[in-house]
Amino acid sequence: MASIVQGRQRKKGWYAPYLFIAPQMAGFFIFVLGPLVAVFIFSLQSRNLLSGQVSFVGLQNYIQMIQMDPLFTKTLVNSLIFTMGLVPTNIALALAISLILSKQFRGTTFFRTVFFTPVVTSAVAWAIVWKFLLQGEAGLVNRYLEIFGITGPNWLREPHWAMFSVIITRVFKNLGMNIVLYMAAITNLPTQLMEAATIDGAGRWTIFHKITFPLLMPTTLMISVLTVIGSLKVFDHIMLLTAGGPNNATMVMVYYIYHQAFQFFETGYASGLAVILFLIVLVLTLSQWSIRKKVSHYEQ
Amino acid sequence: MKTRVSLALIVLLICSSLVWAGGQQEQSSSADEEVTLRFTLWSGFDGHLNMLNEIAAKYTAKHPNVKVQLDTIPFSDYVSKVTIQLAGSNPPDCGWLVENSGPSFIDAGVLSDLSNAAEQYDYDDFSDSAMTLWERGDQVYGLPFSTSPFIMLYNADLFTQAGVPNPNELAAEGDWTWEKLRDIAKTIKEETGVYAFQTMDGQGYDVRVWHTLIPIMRAYGADAWDSNGNCQLDTPEAIEAVELFHSMIYEDKSVVPPGSQSDFYAGNAAMTVGQISRVGKLKDASFDWGIAVMPKGPAGEAYVIGQAAVVAFKASENREIAADFVAFMTNKMNVKKMAEYFPPARESVLYDEAFLSANAAISKEQMRDVVATSIEKGEVLSFHPNFPKIDLTARAEFDTLWTADADVDAIMNRVAEKVQPLLNQ
Repeated sequence: MASIVQGRQRKKGWYAPYLFIAPQMAGFFIFVLGPLVAVFIFSLQSRNLLSGQVSFVGLQNYIQMIQMDPLFTKTLVNSLIFTMGLVPTNIALALAISLILSKQFRGTTFFRTVFFTPVVTSAVAWAIVWKFLLQGEAGLVNRYLEIFGITGPNWLREPHWAMFSVIITRVFKNLGMNIVLYMAAITNLPTQLMEAATIDGAGRWTIFHKITFPLLMPTTLMISVLTVIGSLKVFDHIMLLTAGGPNNATMVMVYYIYHQAFQFFETGYASGLAVILFLIVLVLTLSQWSIRKKVSHYEQ
Repeated sequence: MKTRVSLALIVLLICSSLVWAGGQQEQSSSADEEVTLRFTLWSGFDGHLNMLNEIAAKYTAKHPNVKVQLDTIPFSDYVSKVTIQLAGSNPPDCGWLVENSGPSFIDAGVLSDLSNAAEQYDYDDFSDSAMTLWERGDQVYGLPFSTSPFIMLYNADLFTQAGVPNPNELAAEGDWTWEKLRDIAKTIKEETGVYAFQTMDGQGYDVRVWHTLIPIMRAYGADAWDSNGNCQLDTPEAIEAVELFHSMIYEDKSVVPPGSQSDFYAGNAAMTVGQISRVGKLKDASFDWGIAVMPKGPAGEAYVIGQAAVVAFKASENREIAADFVAFMTNKMNVKKMAEYFPPARESVLYDEAFLSANAAISKEQMRDVVATSIEKGEVLSFHPNFPKIDLTARAEFDTLWTADADVDAIMNRVAEKVQPLLNQ
């Protein structure tokens, strides 16, 4: 009898949780899902933001990207180069530094602060400082290289070096965030395993690659997913340091989307580019997620 | 019970939001007699805002139901933000527009025709060359409030230290040419160790590459493109001009090179190209400075003008009032007032005592000989409705100019090849 009454009450109040999440869901539908769906629809149209002219063109924007727009291929390749350069460097450095900083020694707090400071520094200030450091003739980096008899390049103005420079400066900007994530994971590692391995005679390297690294795999996967997404979406850093130059050597996809939408006012074509970027990010994220069970044996 | 209370609270919350929103709607729609014009601009400088507010107050005194609200948008985002606002439900009524956005805005049909409103305020007084960009037949889509010529700013101390005549002395002798500039630049660099020339705002290899090259090309008899849309970047004159500049950077090493942050205003270069608005940056300069006209070349004098106009937007709900306010803002009296900061396009104001003495940092003679002369003889920067695409395409190719072993001839031909189809569109 009691269970019937409870069941009725439950039935009567079935809508309560939906009402509770309604404000949040309304925001999600209006501000997230709505624009997302709109971008897909816009990508099938020729839209001019300035004149307001709109016409349905089907897949024409996508055909134009592939057949008639050499900059599309270039920006796609640039985005992938940027991601492939940034993600492994960032993860390797973050892991190495957090392993060192997780030990207690004098100055640990100072170094943690040093590595985290760029994360909270304004992107504009960061870019201005690096523009000074990376000048061709009077830059501090090249002056240091001169001490070793090396004539440094004009880092941000030479196509071969510009991409390298934006990757390295971006790595240092965001490294601190990944260090924090790794350190949180390292602090929670079970120490018994390391102690047992030490008693069994395992060396530091063996402990790292047989125990520590596998235990950190869930964190590494999460960091790699976040860093890949962040690097494919990079915009401010490129705009401030190189503005996509020289000769489009650092023109990445989001910056090109910005150009198409807000400089050329071609919002239909820009939406097409955004859809392609969305699909790339989606595929990469799903693939990373799908391999997590194969490589991550310790996920809780 | 708890569920009911929660539900009641949620319903109350939603209802109160709706009531509030409804109230807001009612409040804005009921004020149909009072009109507030939203005027967009890219300056947040107090001097500019105070001056414009005074002009707005005068308009309100004449039309008590109209108020003007100034809305500053940073220059870097200005065009994109105004465009988005025009596409949305909250368009500005009127505002500033820079010259290279003029043609695309006119072609897109988003600007109001100001010819009727302007007629009341002695429209014929605007110089013909200043109006070229803003007219389509009898229709007028913008009224220039700033017609600012490119001028040469120089550090007089560095010229004295190098023992070379300054640009005004050379101009007085009729010897102020780009060739001469190259010679003295080389001497200044050798004698003082300081770079002799910096491009405009140090951005002359990227966002201001046209501002760097067009003055030299015009002095040599070429332009970016002619009025019929024929690209001139591959003409022998254009190539000769660019080769001169390229040699100054890489052979003479007298020009602040690409990527370097050496700044004229900090005393780290002897000359730079600027406009009157840049003079304010020299207020606390630790060196003596002067201004001169741009050098001439084999084709004679070539004065270049940057321009900004006031426009009224067609999407405005108060289109006629906005057009009238724009015309009022650019009448003789207000142009005189604005001349303190913005060189005028009205001929009657150009040699007026008020304009010549408007800027405390520049003598009357310099205002007359350098600024007024450059405006009178100058031509607006090259413009085209497709400029954003032309700019992106050309800039990528121009980037390849900035290496010591660049083949200027081949690169300029390549730029022209890529720009011409965009000019034809």
